[in-house]
Amino acid sequence: MNDAINAQISAFVDGELPENEAELLLRRMSQDRALRQQAAEYLALGRAIRGQRTVAGMASLRDRIAAALDAEAVPEPSSASQSRDLKYVRPLAGVAIAATVALAAIIGLQRVAGIDETAPTQAVAEAESPGYTVPAPAPAEDKLREYYLRHAASSAYVGASSINARLVTLELPDGVQVEVQPEPEAAEETDAAEPAQPTP
Amino acid sequence: MRKLREHAAATALVACAALLSSHPALADTDLAPNEWLGKMVGAVKATNYQGTVIRTRGGRSEVLKVVHAIKDGVVHERVIVQEGNGLEIIRIGNEVHCILPDEKSVLVEEWNDQGALFSTLPSSDIRFGSEYDVSIVRTERVAGRQSVLLAVRPHDEYRFGHRLWLDIETGFPLQTKLLDDAGAAIEHVKFADIRLDENIDSQALAPSISTENFRWFTSPKRDITYDVSSVWSSDDLPPGFRVISTHFETLAEGEEPLVHILYSDGLANVSVFIESSGEEIRASHSRVGNSNSFSLQVEGHQVTAVGEVPAATVRRIASSMRPN
Repeated sequence: MNDAINAQISAFVDGELPENEAELLLRRMSQDRALRQQAAEYLALGRAIRGQRTVAGMASLRDRIAAALDAEAVPEPSSASQSRDLKYVRPLAGVAIAATVALAAIIGLQRVAGIDETAPTQAVAEAESPGYTVPAPAPAEDKLREYYLRHAASSAYVGASSINARLVTLELPDGVQVEVQPEPEAAEETDAAEPAQPTP
Repeated sequence: MRKLREHAAATALVACAALLSSHPALADTDLAPNEWLGKMVGAVKATNYQGTVIRTRGGRSEVLKVVHAIKDGVVHERVIVQEGNGLEIIRIGNEVHCILPDEKSVLVEEWNDQGALFSTLPSSDIRFGSEYDVSIVRTERVAGRQSVLLAVRPHDEYRFGHRLWLDIETGFPLQTKLLDDAGAAIEHVKFADIRLDENIDSQALAPSISTENFRWFTSPKRDITYDVSSVWSSDDLPPGFRVISTHFETLAEGEEPLVHILYSDGLANVSVFIESSGEEIRASHSRVGNSNSFSLQVEGHQVTAVGEVPAATVRRIASSMRPN
């Protein structure tokens, strides 16, 4: 990883990277685990240096990534896709929203206590800044998010209810999703047979 | 025998009340605590309602508008977050559309449960029984209705406590609190206003905004093999927890399946995920809302426990997992 990228990441987490450069960086980060880890380390370092619980760039990070998501070149659904009958919606495998993965990887979970103090392999940053929350590497964050969702789904069988799962999903923004499009023929039938609004 | 006598007494009182009083709200005030739980479960499953809910946790509050109806045995629900991103959740049975207006996106999901508003509601009788005390505290007015306050108190530090304000007339939960061992509220859900058992118009359950030109997304299908046996088990479960189910699940296409064991004490649930791990991981814990998780490495595997329980519980369960 070269110095220019390092400087760019540093500026990004400080909220000082121009919008267009930030978007490009986000796209790169979404495809590069090393870059995401680097960003996470800068976040940790910035907070450790400042001795505060927030990072300047963090407040705008969600907005930037949301903007990156909106700008992402995904095919617009056809007019037939306005049909909301799930019978005619099918997943198109492999069309992942990479920017949202980056979002989850960088911002991560709302960790309250971070690394286990008794663990044998503590991070250096943790040792230098006791009590500070060190973001875990991106894949672990993704996995943990998936665990929370799986738990919520399985708990439903034994009594826990739905809204919690959805709100947890929102707090762990956006897992890997794939875009769906209706099968055109079926959607046309639906449009003809049913009103435009979904039938509750 | 005592319970039988109480039940008989309660039944007699109900009968007397039905004969002597024109106020159905007074009819069930003498139910035993567990009978109140049963009544609540029935009410949550069968009651149509709409109202405004205030949900507070982690120092943050949000206001939700909720409409819930059962039509031909199928749950229909609309939840609209009144602040922030204006999220709308439209549910028809297991099919759920999450409409995100600010991102002009709709997430399509499938939920397995029958659903209800409250995330931490004891939705069935406390089946294993001995880890909690259930008692009636007092009657109070909530959302303009008379309610009975039910306390569900855990015997140890491995689970959260509950307070439930149940509508005396119907048993419907008008307010709930999830409490930590110091009695502080972790989550508080309260109806500011509610209308029960109304005939709900279909329009009230439809999206309030147009999703024209929105992008639609869904999660990839996941592979799950149910009811398998695993070599993994806990050698130090907190009292009252037992295995509910064991699955093999695949998180992403092409990945090795992991083991998912669900534990429950009858009220609180904890999932344990186990997968082989080539690289050393750091033991760590995290919290999201009222859920905690703890991960560590055990004999070349990553073991993670997740649940709506105190941090000590997921830590103890994850740390006690062993391959036999």
